[in-house]
Amino acid sequence: MSVELPAEDLLARVARHDVDALSELYDRYAPRVYGIVAHILPARDAAEEILQEVFACLWGESARLSQEGNSVVAWLVVTAREAAVDRLRALRKNAANIGPQASIAHSGKGSDPGAQKSKAGVLPPSVAKSLEGKTTALKPRLADVARTPAMGTVPAAWLPLPKEITLIDDRLVLLHKVINQLPKPQRQALELAVFGGMCESEIAAEIGEPLGKVQRSLRAAVTFVKHRRRAVCGTWAANI
Amino acid sequence: MWNMGCQHLEELYELWLLGALSERGSLDLREHMARGCPHCLAGIREATETVYLLGLASKPARPHPRVKSELLRQISRKAPPHR
Repeated sequence: MSVELPAEDLLARVARHDVDALSELYDRYAPRVYGIVAHILPARDAAEEILQEVFACLWGESARLSQEGNSVVAWLVVTAREAAVDRLRALRKNAANIGPQASIAHSGKGSDPGAQKSKAGVLPPSVAKSLEGKTTALKPRLADVARTPAMGTVPAAWLPLPKEITLIDDRLVLLHKVINQLPKPQRQALELAVFGGMCESEIAAEIGEPLGKVQRSLRAAVTFVKHRRRAVCGTWAANI
Repeated sequence: MWNMGCQHLEELYELWLLGALSERGSLDLREHMARGCPHCLAGIREATETVYLLGLASKPARPHPRVKSELLRQISRKAPPHR
């Protein structure tokens, strides 16, 4: 029976330009990374492009990342979310410059009665559809987006070590349980922050609540999840 | 040295990493981090774990095989010989 190599060992091989090792990392983590990216970006071509860019970035940064010794899966997940959110924000900004539909994308309360929110709760299908096929013209390169660090530049000191974090799929049920325990307003605000790429004031406008209330909801939601993090990861025995 | 004045920033780490803070809150934390506060650095590291977990809340999805083929073609063009 073959034993699965640790991701960090594969990364060390990638740093020596081993394409097979990158292929193995891709097979192992692409569904996870693509799941995040596709949840954030409604257009499939944009999501696929980000997925490809994240792994190309892993290839390019492999020597540095391998030397720093941080968790590969943590880097992939954090980097992919940031890259997808950056792209979403850029698309939303471009949509705002295209025409009146743009206000729907920001407020969620446009005059179009048929406007439905996308799965990310950000772009209604009418706007998302208008962006499909135009992403080449609309999308900025990731390096052009300055709101969060450019792809792959999360400082090593901020990333967990492999021993501190694991990707244990059978424990993710606990994560969903934690998130489902949040009161609905908190869960909604957190979803818009994590997968909708919205800041506090944008969330307040989106759900039509006062900014102060949204800020309290977000802080409470994050604190709730944070305090249960170790239990989800299996490093603390705790009931959830 | 831990700056006692930074305790109020603790509840902002995750939201800052998510890019969810207002410009003002984001600026305060960025300026504080630039001064190399070890207390906040430790807090940010833990917050990154939480942000990682939150990302995992999405369901995995299988990308089209074409994406992998294009990726490998792209890097193979640039790759020096395997050492």
